[in-house]
Amino acid sequence: MTDSTADTGASRVLGGRPTEATIRTTTTITTVKNTSGAHIELKNVNKVYGEQTVPAVENFSMDVEPGELIMFVGPSGCGKTTTMKMINRIIEPTSGSITVDGRDVLSLNPNELRRHIGYVIQQIGLFPHMTIAENISVVPKLLGWSKEKTRNRVDELLSVVQLDPKTFAGRYPKQLSGGQQQRVGVARALAADPPVMLMDEPFGATDPITREKLQVEFLRLQESIGKTIIFVTHDFDEAVRLGDRIAVLSDRSKIEQFDTPANILRAPANDYVASFIGHGAALKRLALIPLYDALLGRATDARGTASLSETDSLRDALDLLVLTGLPAIGVTDASGKVVASVTVDQISAELGDDAGAGAPGVLS
Amino acid sequence: MTFEAVIERDVSVAPAELGVRRARFWTLRRIATPIVIVLVLLALFLWIQTLEIDSIMARTLNADYILLRTREHLELTFIASALVAVLAIPAGIVASRTTSRLLRGTILTIANIGQATPAIGFIILLAIIWQIGFQTALIALVAYSFLPVLRNTMVGLSQIDPSVTESARGMGMTPGQVLRRIELPLAVPVILAGLRTSLVFCVGVATVATFIDAGGLGDMIVNGLKLQRFPVLITGAVLVSCIALLIDWLASIAEDLLRPKGV
Amino acid sequence: MTGFDLPGLLAFWGKRYDDILQLVGQHLLVVAVALLLATAIGVGVGLLVWNSPVGRSLAVTSAAVILTIPSLALLAAMIPLFGLGWVPTLIGLTLYSLLPIIRNTVVGLREVSPAIMEAATGMGLSRGAVLLRIQLPMAWPVIVTGVRVAAQLTIGIAAIGAYVGGPGLGQMIFQGLSSLGSKNALNYALTGTLGVIVLALIVDGLFTLITKTTTSKGLRA
Repeated sequence: MTDSTADTGASRVLGGRPTEATIRTTTTITTVKNTSGAHIELKNVNKVYGEQTVPAVENFSMDVEPGELIMFVGPSGCGKTTTMKMINRIIEPTSGSITVDGRDVLSLNPNELRRHIGYVIQQIGLFPHMTIAENISVVPKLLGWSKEKTRNRVDELLSVVQLDPKTFAGRYPKQLSGGQQQRVGVARALAADPPVMLMDEPFGATDPITREKLQVEFLRLQESIGKTIIFVTHDFDEAVRLGDRIAVLSDRSKIEQFDTPANILRAPANDYVASFIGHGAALKRLALIPLYDALLGRATDARGTASLSETDSLRDALDLLVLTGLPAIGVTDASGKVVASVTVDQISAELGDDAGAGAPGVLS
Repeated sequence: MTFEAVIERDVSVAPAELGVRRARFWTLRRIATPIVIVLVLLALFLWIQTLEIDSIMARTLNADYILLRTREHLELTFIASALVAVLAIPAGIVASRTTSRLLRGTILTIANIGQATPAIGFIILLAIIWQIGFQTALIALVAYSFLPVLRNTMVGLSQIDPSVTESARGMGMTPGQVLRRIELPLAVPVILAGLRTSLVFCVGVATVATFIDAGGLGDMIVNGLKLQRFPVLITGAVLVSCIALLIDWLASIAEDLLRPKGV
Repeated sequence: MTGFDLPGLLAFWGKRYDDILQLVGQHLLVVAVALLLATAIGVGVGLLVWNSPVGRSLAVTSAAVILTIPSLALLAAMIPLFGLGWVPTLIGLTLYSLLPIIRNTVVGLREVSPAIMEAATGMGLSRGAVLLRIQLPMAWPVIVTGVRVAAQLTIGIAAIGAYVGGPGLGQMIFQGLSSLGSKNALNYALTGTLGVIVLALIVDGLFTLITKTTTSKGLRA
């Protein structure tokens, strides 16, 4: 714990009570993801369709770090999908440059290029005449992998997306539910372990419950594989939930703001971004902050039997406080022991904390 | 016989129904066709046996003559269908690759007019402006079945879910690979339906080939009528109908066997 | 080999104007009567079998078998029974029309959403009333499409009917065949064939009109 955090935390959170009351739970979180991702750079990219005078994408520039999950969010027709599809040249840019790990995408053979970029679209596009295993094997086969290696990879990937290989490998796409098909779509895109993934509203066609489940699984997956991902969505909440950084786009793919979810929620760059966030920005921000990142009270302050895990968010905490009417609620660590407590004051204080809100790793 | 009717019948089968059909390959309907054909031929044979065959009838109602006419009929049918398959499917692929609306529109318009053209008129016109005989009949059959197969190939390729081809491209398949591994296999049911239509259709048109001296079982029908020997006429008509049913039946089996699984 | 001669063809038309019109009229008449018969039978059969899997399969399969039989064979096989003339043609055309009409009737009746039928039953309509007052009108555009396909089919087949003494433009085509070698052979065959094509296209246009005027306004796209 750094001194400054301790000081401000103590005075702020506990209203002048001494330092020992300032408690953060002890979970260590990794700040640097393990990444196999690539660095992507788009420079002054333009796309003009046919004879049209107004470009679909105008002067788009962006730098994406390896392992980052970047969300493109904007209304339909704003050019977000077009921008993404220029990276694997499903759509050819009119001008500008795109590089992946320093290599100029436009000078590569597009088919070769695409074999190393995972691609997931909303309609999934599984090949209906191929089994699940065959669908996943397409790119490995194109790359000339051995049968054995391919088969092992198929089993591995099906397990990764939580589908039992024994049950599903031999099935055809139409025998799967929408959510299962979507998982196969992700597995297929991951087949050759590409450093970059392009995802166009991959969960857009699923029902809300399935979507949330897929999002949680996807986040867990990304944590372990650390791909560089461009993820297009029109759902701002999805962008907040998943993204490392969000690019809010308006017409002609103009970047209105490009920042972390927390920063965009706290300080929208303009009215356009604010309108996109909609109501409840504060609650959305709370949902982003896990309890282990917040300044909390002493375990002994907790009242009643209700408690939360330290991995729950401040929003969950607020929810429980409102529901129970208690002044403070216990927070448990991984072993289930109450290690801290949380109050409404502490929660609102986190929102006012410009420097620290949501930024991970302050303690560790 | 029109293409539309048969094409629609074959394309409109719901996927669920297909699944059921595959699950029970030897359905009653499937077994019934050959049984009915055998029974009909048997009845025909027994009926002929009860008749007094005069010398005129004897010239046609004998195994040699019937086999010869049947062979001619099948030759005309299969050569024409094979030519159509070889010519019309590649042409359909090329036509589906073009982005020219004009070309596609032209092809479809010609296909529609072609469909409105009576087979008998077309074949007789060709005989008048060129010559009578087998070659003319063959060309008429090919020209006639060409457009439905071409159109079915175009329809089969264009009805593929664009997201499927987009993901194939997105995975780095070359256009040739997308065509061979994804598009053609998925278009197979529709293309085969077109070929099946064309086969059955050729059996029918080959019957009227007799009018331009191209042989076939139509000869028996026409001779029977001319000579007022109805048993000859009936034999020809029943045989050619059984051939049409049998070929349609075989084609339906081929369709089921060649249809990609999972579709 | 006979060359094409446009002035000759025009002169031919000018001279045989009345004949051609009469054959066109006959052609239309036999097709129209066959379609009316087939629609009555086909829709009737459709109404009977639409809700029974066995009956449906039996009706559609039988009609499909008929359509598979080459037209010359079917028409000729009727001569021993009915002799030469209009009757074999009329019966043949009616039989050939059954498949598209029965099939489309069945499809149209089955397509009506269960919710609509439940609502109708819930309002106290009997099964028969639901069928005739709700399902049939809703299925009508699909049925008309079936009749339209049947019309295209029979206009062409009617040409072969001329061989068994049937009416219509087929007579011109066979006249061309029998005068093979003479200078008018091409004119006969061409007039008959073109006449059938033009008839088919006109009738198709007519059906677009029929579909529009006989479909409930609420069902039009």
